[in-house]
Amino acid sequence: MAKRRNISTIKCISIFFSLLLAFFILVQIVCVVTHTTLPALITSICSKEMQFAIELSLLTSIISTILCIIVSVPTAYALARYDFFGKSLINTILDAPLALPPLVAGVGLLILFGTTPFGKTMADAGLAFVFTPLGIVVAQFFVNVPFMFRILRGTFQGINPRYEHVAQTLGCTELQAFWRVTLPMAKNGLLAGSIITWSKGIGEFGAALMLAGATRMKTETLPISLYLNMSCGELNLAIAAATILIVISLGSLFIFEKYGGFAKVF
Amino acid sequence: MEDLPRYSKMISIKNVSKSLGDFFLKDITLDIEAGSYFMVLGPTGAGKTILLEAISGIYRPDSGGIWLEEKEITNIPPRERNISMVYQDYMLFPHLTVEKNIGFGLNPGKTPREEIHLRITNIANMLHIHHLLHRFPGTLSGGEKQRIAIARAVVTEPKALLLDEPLSALDTQTREILREELIRIHRKTGITIVHVTHNFEEVFSLGDSVAVMNEGKIVQVGTPDEVFRRPRSEFVANFVGIENLFKGKSTVDNGTSAISVDGTRIVSTVCKTGDSVISIRPEDILVSRNKIESSARNSFNGTIENIIDKGTTIKIVVDCGIPFAAVITRKSFDDMGLGKGVSAHLTFKASDVHFI
Repeated sequence: MAKRRNISTIKCISIFFSLLLAFFILVQIVCVVTHTTLPALITSICSKEMQFAIELSLLTSIISTILCIIVSVPTAYALARYDFFGKSLINTILDAPLALPPLVAGVGLLILFGTTPFGKTMADAGLAFVFTPLGIVVAQFFVNVPFMFRILRGTFQGINPRYEHVAQTLGCTELQAFWRVTLPMAKNGLLAGSIITWSKGIGEFGAALMLAGATRMKTETLPISLYLNMSCGELNLAIAAATILIVISLGSLFIFEKYGGFAKVF
Repeated sequence: MEDLPRYSKMISIKNVSKSLGDFFLKDITLDIEAGSYFMVLGPTGAGKTILLEAISGIYRPDSGGIWLEEKEITNIPPRERNISMVYQDYMLFPHLTVEKNIGFGLNPGKTPREEIHLRITNIANMLHIHHLLHRFPGTLSGGEKQRIAIARAVVTEPKALLLDEPLSALDTQTREILREELIRIHRKTGITIVHVTHNFEEVFSLGDSVAVMNEGKIVQVGTPDEVFRRPRSEFVANFVGIENLFKGKSTVDNGTSAISVDGTRIVSTVCKTGDSVISIRPEDILVSRNKIESSARNSFNGTIENIIDKGTTIKIVVDCGIPFAAVITRKSFDDMGLGKGVSAHLTFKASDVHFI
């Protein structure tokens, strides 16, 4: 009789696949990072164009993240706490941008702001979104707001409303109870949501390309810079942009895993 | 001290109805005396928590009204009612220290900082949680959390304290200690307490009055003794059970206690002195037509005043000066020829007499 071994076939095969996948992802990242030399990378990062792209990316992503927070907090709270007519429909609509390809969302935004009276009124009021850095902010906002919203909705659902009830019996108005109790308790969800929204904002390409265009030194964020430099053979600049995006993504992932483990994104 | 007006009624609830899906209140009318320890007893889903939430103002009644010291508060928001509430799962704010939790309801704009500090210290000393003030609630035990929740509720000196199953989540020993603590707080502060529970032993050991609730309605109100002795409906009888609960004075002599209940002397092997509540399980009582000679220390003669058919077993209530309930099989019931008005002997061991 064959000697019985304590090794299961399914265990071996499944672990092999997970290792293979992890290896493949790692190779991909290493390929980008090691494509140029370190001095060349530093020179590229210090170039005027790359500096512009970094600054624009940071500025637009931070503004769009703040907008996402401002809009998502009340929206998520309403959908977590209250029952009202049309609630499930609203939930579905708010999730839609997640499933929509960013390019399609970008086309929608372009048509809304470029062709409708609403867009024209906004442009006349000084808020021009088409082919401007402002358009980048709007594109990032619409594509990423579902992430913030979903994480916050999950967070608020996980906080027993009785905390607010107790706070109210201790002298708080409804708003004070929210501010002093629920919001601090939602801190981790808020942090996780902000990190993922910000990191997705930095990497936002499709919708931004449609609405804000790809104009060098005007609407050139890091992903746009990567795209522009790749298309015209400026490999070093492209790699520099890619490397920065990798560092930001991995850093965000790390923070998200640490603080947002409980929050559901999908 | 200035003379404050004395109201005999602290809380009056008149015809209050409220529907929250599965949970509801139906036409509740209730008066709660100032300074009393008022129990609300009922099974899960009876609407006990909503009743507290209606009193505290978290939910406004669909109809009816609520009065606090004869002032209508039906439409006043919770923060202006000066009624505190403690939930079963404590609801301590996890992001604040114990000290900040207790001081949550004290407004630094209205009360001087030194006084806030003093009041927190005093209440923490009273509840023996002074050493925890700088900790966060997350790592504390259930008993500690419940003390903090009570401290947070009491420190604002509310007119009434509402307790939602405050002892249910605790282990037996902690529950015992906290029950004593509640009695002490009530005596010391004279605060009106409304305490919700599904445990009838708590009603007996804590309450001055009790309201029994079922399916959103109040089914009986009275002193615990009245409700247990004279349940007015089958639901109350079944829910509280005629479980041989007696209140009496206990004296210890020679390793046993003798408890005097309305003149009837019951012997227990548990040694405890003073005002006590004892219970004897109906299954532990031996029923016979004639007196049995045995080593059992408790033997009484009485008349069967009630017979409750439970299928294979029959519960009889025998009046021996105080009413005892005993459970026997249908066969022995028939064999002995028992019936209403028939005299019977009850015998039970001193070791079967439990203190609550």
